[in-house]
Amino acid sequence: MVNVPTAVWIDEKGRIVRPNEAAYVDDRYKSMHRLDAAEYFDALRDWVANGEKSVFALSETELKDRLKPQNPDWALATAEFGLGEYLYRQGLQAASIRHYKEAQRLNPDNWNYKRQAWALSDAEREYGTSFMKEVQKLNGKPYYAPRKLPGTRKN
Amino acid sequence: MQTMKFLICLALPFLMAAISGMAAEAGTRVVIYDGVSTNVTAPPANLAEKSDLWVTLEDLKRATGYVLKPQGVCREQLCFPIPKARKSAFLFKQDAGKRSATWFNLSEFGRLLRQPAAYDAESSVWYFGPRADEQNGFIESLNAPDFTLPDMSGKKHSLSDFRGRKVLLLTWASW
Repeated sequence: MVNVPTAVWIDEKGRIVRPNEAAYVDDRYKSMHRLDAAEYFDALRDWVANGEKSVFALSETELKDRLKPQNPDWALATAEFGLGEYLYRQGLQAASIRHYKEAQRLNPDNWNYKRQAWALSDAEREYGTSFMKEVQKLNGKPYYAPRKLPGTRKN
Repeated sequence: MQTMKFLICLALPFLMAAISGMAAEAGTRVVIYDGVSTNVTAPPANLAEKSDLWVTLEDLKRATGYVLKPQGVCREQLCFPIPKARKSAFLFKQDAGKRSATWFNLSEFGRLLRQPAAYDAESSVWYFGPRADEQNGFIESLNAPDFTLPDMSGKKHSLSDFRGRKVLLLTWASW
């Protein structure tokens, strides 16, 4: 989960039905993403009424295709980031930055490691970049999991 | 005066070495395991030189819940045998009279389990994270990983509390 609003659907057995994706529940930022919140609510109501028969409930194959498995580098990145968090809480900011940077190096596509680290320091000074600069580099491609509802506009 | 300066220069490296040795003995080391931090005793100087984390068996149990048994290193129903040929990489018996102790190499154990570990030399902190296969377990089962968070009044709620009901897990911000 690297941005808000995003949501996960989970069924009565605790199984994931839709993994994390953009979930616009009102239209206040519609000028930016051009997506109707109403479409999302309709999909949600359909799933509540029809459960696993809903067209919005993903099949096991679709789910496994969307969920990215961890590899050893990403697992180590999790540990490096966790260590950075611990050091930051202890007031050791310089030390924490070393480990945030290592987490970013090991898993460069993980925007949690970027956004959180940048927010906890002067990103320009410590990392030579900023959130807005990095978003602009993507040229309109979302850095978060886009909404992919069948039969609706996609982003 | 020159003789005095010479003696100070001569003594300085030994003084630094002694202080360094004392720091290793008395310094605090922190282990973070399963997200919980525990202060552990620093090992003797010969084990403290490298980035590996050696802990006493008491600290091993306190910090990780693992216990050394004849069949291996165990926690609840899980036991991991120590490879016989590499026993010395895991265990070191310190025989120093009243201070005799068995030291366990938690970093080597992490490598045996393929558990990722991060280390900060300056602050002597070791962080052991979840294994990749543990983190991937939910992809096979598709069960949402359980977690617990406090509400606005501090009351804790777990995802598993909502079993039997559909859940929309929505992240939002208040701006």
